[in-house]
Amino acid sequence: MIEDIVLLSRLQFAITVFFHFIFVPLTIGLGAMVAGFEVKYWKTQQEKWKKLAQFWGNLFKINFAFGIVTGFAMTFQFGTNWGPYSEFMGDVFASPLALEALIAFFLEATFFGIWLFTNHKRPALKAVSMVLVSVGTMISAIWIITANSFMQNPVGYQMAEDGTKVLLSDIGAVLTNPYLWYMLIHTLIAAYLLSALFMAAVSGYFLLKKSNTDIFRTSMKLGVYVLVISALLLPCFGMFYGHYVGDVQPVKAAAMEAVWESGSDLPMYLIQIPSDSGNTVQAIGIPYLGSFLLTGDLHGEVTGLNDIAEEDRPPVAMTFFSFRIMVILGVVFILEALAGLYLVRKDPAMESPKSRKYIKLILYSVPLPYLAIAFGWAVAEVGRQPWIVYGLYRTAEAVSTVPAIQIIFSTGLLLLFYLLLFFLFLYLMVKAVSAGPEVAEHA
Amino acid sequence: MLEYELLINIWFALWCVIWALCLVADSFPLGAGMLAAFLPKTMGQTLQVAKSVGPFWGGNQVWLILAAGGTFAAFPLIFSKMFTWLYIPMMLLLIAVILRGICIELIYHDDNAKLQQVFRYGWALGSLLIAVVLGVAFTNFFRGLVINADYVYGGTLLGLFGVHALLGALLFVLFFLTSGAFWVAHKTTGEISEKCSRFGKKSSIAVAVTALIYIIALFNTDGFAANYNAYPIAYAVPLIAVVFALACIGLAVKKSDKPFFAFLANLGTLFFGAATGCVSLYPYILKSTVNPEFGVSIFAGASSQMTLSLMFYAALIFVPIVLIYQLWSYTRFKEKIPEA
Repeated sequence: MIEDIVLLSRLQFAITVFFHFIFVPLTIGLGAMVAGFEVKYWKTQQEKWKKLAQFWGNLFKINFAFGIVTGFAMTFQFGTNWGPYSEFMGDVFASPLALEALIAFFLEATFFGIWLFTNHKRPALKAVSMVLVSVGTMISAIWIITANSFMQNPVGYQMAEDGTKVLLSDIGAVLTNPYLWYMLIHTLIAAYLLSALFMAAVSGYFLLKKSNTDIFRTSMKLGVYVLVISALLLPCFGMFYGHYVGDVQPVKAAAMEAVWESGSDLPMYLIQIPSDSGNTVQAIGIPYLGSFLLTGDLHGEVTGLNDIAEEDRPPVAMTFFSFRIMVILGVVFILEALAGLYLVRKDPAMESPKSRKYIKLILYSVPLPYLAIAFGWAVAEVGRQPWIVYGLYRTAEAVSTVPAIQIIFSTGLLLLFYLLLFFLFLYLMVKAVSAGPEVAEHA
Repeated sequence: MLEYELLINIWFALWCVIWALCLVADSFPLGAGMLAAFLPKTMGQTLQVAKSVGPFWGGNQVWLILAAGGTFAAFPLIFSKMFTWLYIPMMLLLIAVILRGICIELIYHDDNAKLQQVFRYGWALGSLLIAVVLGVAFTNFFRGLVINADYVYGGTLLGLFGVHALLGALLFVLFFLTSGAFWVAHKTTGEISEKCSRFGKKSSIAVAVTALIYIIALFNTDGFAANYNAYPIAYAVPLIAVVFALACIGLAVKKSDKPFFAFLANLGTLFFGAATGCVSLYPYILKSTVNPEFGVSIFAGASSQMTLSLMFYAALIFVPIVLIYQLWSYTRFKEKIPEA
């Protein structure tokens, strides 16, 4: 019975958080780029920047509208579905959430309203508002990842004397948790990558149609440049992040590569299929790479899953495949980014047959960063299991005892509602893109 | 650091103020949303209603997130019980918040007439549902929940929707409608402004009558008057609410050309009305109807001294900053909205 509730509540949380995160990366990345266009227009008064701000701002607006309200879901669920967790963790975990509302959400939401209802006759107010919205999204990311990184690597706390909850002992330690900064930078770069690829693809669509080429050449270039930088930074930075995870969450690290036998000088197998107790297929090993990826040392010692009690292991196959898919997609992005860089430098109008093929390729690639990010989060959160707070508190203990039927009812309702919203979102985005850069302003 | 007990008391007061501000801040966007379903004759008028709250509703809505997040940070146990025990109402509130938010943001975005109608009614439905759930939830908090020893909840879903709770829902709907009507009347010109002004006059009387019945019922609920009898000075709070309610009716009738004053008076009624309920809660937030001692008190439910103190200083710095830039944002949109 209680297992069913745990599973149902996890399912509900997974649905709501993944749905919310469809909108988050573009809000962060595109928000910063729109802020840039607004500032450019304010400073230069050139039509081009205004049109760019209007077109991309319009897409940003749709995304923001869906993103901000779907974020409510998690806050509610901590109380409704994860009551014991809230009681156990509230003292440390809830202040970042409250501070996020107080410092970031008010800023974002208030200035989003001002930005939306200010026309370009007041470019300074319009630009400053958008900059503040963008700053707000980043502050928001810091606080929410502060909360999440405590779940990954609890620091700055002490157990209450009766052992029923954690108490904040050092807010400085919570804020300087290395996990926070690894995860934050990784997440932000991924958000810029997604937004850059989105921008390049949509710009490419207009270059293919030869419509408004003057402005979309600019955003194509911006998209490709940001794509190159973020695609190259991600694996470099991700490598250090991986070494760090190997250090503080060795079980998760072992699951990411499906290492069963402890040892050093481990190879990494390009082809590998894990089961619940070992790898059924294993081929093409690259010597030392396994050790290096998880420890930063070619000869590094990795603790295998067989040396970890079964009840302390995460779902290995899911963690492993999520990690693999994320990495493979990361390689795809590098190739696409470099090809894009080559083409925009050689053929800025993107008119050659090669360029046109490339544009089609990245148009089809738009969903890929979304997938990569979703799988990345799956590594972080599924790989943390069976703990809800790593090493401290198990997911199974954290769930509210609500009648299963209520969870099923609410999950079903949410799922139906979210499906409707998703199609509405796609419809509005596609429509806003095809409408082109002649956007009517509200004000 | 402040003394622990004092901090917990401060946080109780802050909890009340933040929730009351959340009701005040969202009252007119929610009211405008409900009005949009039946008052405007044309889509042009609907858009006038939407634009009157368009720049502000989002920032105002964050008070609700802060209220939930602040409850979580200051009183984790109370947050957990509040949301778990009211599981289905909270889930409905969540869906309503999402529905309202998306519909209001997109209603002026799309010129597809059918879709605009969908957004219009979605906005209204979401707003109505938020008002109803808040009304039902707060009435239950003020009356007390079926809490047995060791925080074992004995209530049922149906039990939350008693006559008094439904009256509370009606009261919240009327409060928000009145708030919205005066706001739209103030912010717009033309037919819709006059309609709203007339509507506000009627609904402010309905608010006063409903509130009176509601409050008399509250004071006749077991245990509600305990704090008032112990500290009769506290009767000043409902008295101020009554003064604001009467002032609102008076201003709506006498100064119908300046609906902004009636609007402010209505917000005053709402704030002190909420405070009237909050006074009765202390030292609990979740009162028990079984035995007062079984309730979840602020002292049992509070976070540690360090967390309360950290959050107190953060609130001390940032709440005024937020209030300043939110109020400033109203000065950026002073022009009245004509019918397009």
